[in-house]
Amino acid sequence: MDNSGRRRRNAIKLVGVAAAATTLLAMAGCSSNSSGTSSDGNVTIEFAQWWEPELGDGQFRGLMDQFEKENPGIKVDLVSGPYASTKEQLFAGAASGTMPDVVGLDGAWVSDFAKQGVIADLSKLMSDSGYDESQLASQIKVDGSTYMIPVVNFVYPMFTNDGLLARAGVSAPPSTRTEFADAAKKITALGGDVSGWVLPLSLEAPNGVQNDVMSWVWASGGSMLKDGQPDLTNSDVSSATDFIQQMWDDKVIAPGSFTMKEQDKVEEFTNGRVGMMIDSLAHINLIRQSNPDLTFSISAIPAKDGFTGERGIPYASWGIGVAENSEHKDAAFKLVQFLMGKDVNSELSTMAKAFPGNTESVPTFVEDDALFKTAFDIYKKGYPANEFTGLPVAEELMRQFGTEFQSALDGQESMGDALKKTQDEWTSEF
Amino acid sequence: MALTTPARPRATRTATRRRFAQAGVLVGLLIGAVFAAGPVLWMLSSSFKSNTQIFELPPRLITDTFSFDAYISIFTNPETVRFFINSYVVAGAVTILTLLVAIQAAYAFSRFEFRGKRIVNVIIVSVQAVPPITLLIPYFGLMVGLGLYNTYPGLIFTYMVFTLPYAIIMMTGYFNTLPKELDEAVRVDGAGSFTALWRVLVPISIPGIVSVGIYTFMIAWNEFLFALTLTRTIDMRTVPIGIQLLMGQHSYEWNQIMAMSILGSIPVLVLFLFFQRFFISGLTAGSVKS
Amino acid sequence: MTMRTLTPPDTELIVTGRPASRRTRQLRKAGEAYVFLSPTLILLFVLMIVPIVMVIGYSFQDNVILNKSPDLVGVDNYVAILTDPGFWKATGNTLFFTLTSVAAHLVLGLSFALLLNSRLIGAVPRAIFRGLYVLPWLFTVAVIAVLWRMLLAPNGIVNFLLNTNIEWLASPQLALGTVTFINIWAGYPFFMVSLLAGLQGIPSDLYEAATVDGASPVQRFWNVTVPQLRPIIVSLVLLDLIWTSQQFALIWLTTGGGPIDVTEMLSTFTYKLAFAKYDFSMASTSAVLVLAMSMIVAVLYVRHQKARD
Repeated sequence: MDNSGRRRRNAIKLVGVAAAATTLLAMAGCSSNSSGTSSDGNVTIEFAQWWEPELGDGQFRGLMDQFEKENPGIKVDLVSGPYASTKEQLFAGAASGTMPDVVGLDGAWVSDFAKQGVIADLSKLMSDSGYDESQLASQIKVDGSTYMIPVVNFVYPMFTNDGLLARAGVSAPPSTRTEFADAAKKITALGGDVSGWVLPLSLEAPNGVQNDVMSWVWASGGSMLKDGQPDLTNSDVSSATDFIQQMWDDKVIAPGSFTMKEQDKVEEFTNGRVGMMIDSLAHINLIRQSNPDLTFSISAIPAKDGFTGERGIPYASWGIGVAENSEHKDAAFKLVQFLMGKDVNSELSTMAKAFPGNTESVPTFVEDDALFKTAFDIYKKGYPANEFTGLPVAEELMRQFGTEFQSALDGQESMGDALKKTQDEWTSEF
Repeated sequence: MALTTPARPRATRTATRRRFAQAGVLVGLLIGAVFAAGPVLWMLSSSFKSNTQIFELPPRLITDTFSFDAYISIFTNPETVRFFINSYVVAGAVTILTLLVAIQAAYAFSRFEFRGKRIVNVIIVSVQAVPPITLLIPYFGLMVGLGLYNTYPGLIFTYMVFTLPYAIIMMTGYFNTLPKELDEAVRVDGAGSFTALWRVLVPISIPGIVSVGIYTFMIAWNEFLFALTLTRTIDMRTVPIGIQLLMGQHSYEWNQIMAMSILGSIPVLVLFLFFQRFFISGLTAGSVKS
Repeated sequence: MTMRTLTPPDTELIVTGRPASRRTRQLRKAGEAYVFLSPTLILLFVLMIVPIVMVIGYSFQDNVILNKSPDLVGVDNYVAILTDPGFWKATGNTLFFTLTSVAAHLVLGLSFALLLNSRLIGAVPRAIFRGLYVLPWLFTVAVIAVLWRMLLAPNGIVNFLLNTNIEWLASPQLALGTVTFINIWAGYPFFMVSLLAGLQGIPSDLYEAATVDGASPVQRFWNVTVPQLRPIIVSLVLLDLIWTSQQFALIWLTTGGGPIDVTEMLSTFTYKLAFAKYDFSMASTSAVLVLAMSMIVAVLYVRHQKARD
């Protein structure tokens, strides 16, 4: 009996079975319907974003259906992913040639994606189609060309827990830094687990540096840049960081700062453990629903004592861009135009509880809701300020600043040294 | 009349010692159970709360707004149900295929000496030592090139690559605890290696195979990064992606996150409890005679 | 001697003693072994070797992925990484994290496995406890991170029960230990279940023989249980060392490498190079260094591989 032959044959049989099973699976497996032109002339474009899950069920898809109705022959496939992974996924998609046609962007990514040739020059698309740029509230440019258009803006004013303020003997939300520090001290003195202020400095998603730290600089009309280059050792920045350092040493900031994220900050405030916070308007309804007993108001971020100029208000946007590799740039840009249109933009802003990217749009909540109206007035009275948008490796810059800032707060180095070190790190990135 | 009480018989003394030992084991198990299951209990209780109550102080196990809303919203959403189906199909296929392939490879490593054995072994082990985040882009490009993007086989083969080194190493370890005489005995009777493996070694290694199978299933079930990158459309996404979709930019759906995790873990837990019988001692021990 | 009258190798050698037949036998053995290995090798080669080679190639170039035609820079990237104090800080943290986790996993896993295998408890309670003990395994890393951040928040339940206000994850002094603890919780079931399976394979007559010889439970443990479990323990330790050193999501989602840099691991360090600085060449370099370090462990493991005879 040919044993070795039988052994080999049995082994081959098994491999064959496994291979057959796998092939069956492979044939049974579904494959995707990627963007392209189908036989009936329909163009399908893909839109990758993280907005759909954040809005109400079916709301965003409804807007897309409206677009499809107004533009017969174009179909929109929504590709939604978790926000935290969006940047990597876009990058991986660009590197492997599977990037969708239209992409949702954050201002912090624009410079890098633009320089890598991943997103298309929108200025060219706009001029080619004769688009009226004046209706755009802002455009994010790199080297003079626009690469991202903010669709809606989430502004970050100050929220104050009126109940806690009253208990602490503070009659009105503070409008200067001294008043703020004072209020924070009084609120913390109430004891229990109550703190005056909350400062999320997590290094994973370091936008706390932008919204909760640099916002103090911008609220007093200051700047962290000079001629587009880092200028962190100037008096604007040092006074703001010293101000925060002082409050840290006075222990009026809620515990857990070094790993706290924006979502945690909101939960602390909603549960009535924090007197004041700088936060996104997107949370107004969230707070109301979660804790109907909480009375809170919106006000401008306090400025330096005696400052009377326009106050910068930090913002983060849902931005939109077009992929450089897209084969359907015209269709893609039509979608951009649609979302930036006066009425659609109003609708989207209302859904997202954000301010519109179209200068003429007015979201309905501004008229119905007192808190939002206040926020809108603050927005109009000041100017949107976010010096990080359009900077190279913006998120990494925030992280570098955050790391040194934590080190200084923890007492491992002086604030002056921290600023200087960060200045050097930033300069090497520019 | 006896004035002295008779000494306690040895049987009772051993019985008392045994009872102390029992108590000791029980106490140990209870403490360990608090450590192991306590956090999961908190997860369960959070899934029934409203989002804000999850962070209230003082924390409560059950709140007045106890509700199944989080679970209902998961069950009634066809997209999330699809996540579960996808995860099951992929994880199940990965487990079966990995076991089939790994048992063979482990047999080779355990029972054969051959040229290049060490190098192949090192390669198989080292393949999982490369940080996945750096492999992501080249691997993704390869998958797209092979036409496996956004398909079940794409995910299945990918996970097999992750689970095979683990399965091979573990099965080799299990096979190494079985004396070589076992399969040598069968070979002397003229049977081939294939028979030796499947008729002799595998039946005895069932506990090991089951434990490897369960963990392979879990690796495939819980994997996030490659699932996200290699799928595009919402109907191909898996449960971990579904959970992270609830972690929005502005707010987290805490109770739904917890609910979805609990729902995701129940089937795997049931599988584990079902296959536990293969862990019961006495079933296989003692059948291995030297 | 014809191919058709094949007898088991040993007998053949004894009978014929010809070296040629030994070589043929070795070739047949190698051939057989490779047949068994073929599906594995094909899959791994097609899907993994190519990307890994690409990553190694990237480490010798500059500005890959972004730039369509990167320059070859030899070992410049390696020098840059090896002289970066951040890399060494990450390595130190990773070593602490990995070694502590693996040791604790082994101790806890073995202890629990022994407890759960004990005949002193009835079958039904044992099954229930097994179910409870395996729970940490069942959840994806993102959920474990979210859960523990919630439990360990300054105003969370752990602080509430302990009546303290400790910043477990946000304190530069405690963060590394805390993160290690979470990883220990999440990973011990791996050892526990595998060792439980291994315990089943230990023949009871070995224990009986030891008891007859007057061995105490402790002696039985060290002289019967541990040696029998050795091959499995070696495999488990190897795998856990490699996996724990790769652990990324748990660290990233709990502390992001912070506060400051106390929980920075090689995995987060590499991630930041790739997706925060967009420097894939350096990220690939870091990856190759991690691979090299793990290969040392792999080679050590392979040397110790022996089947019981």
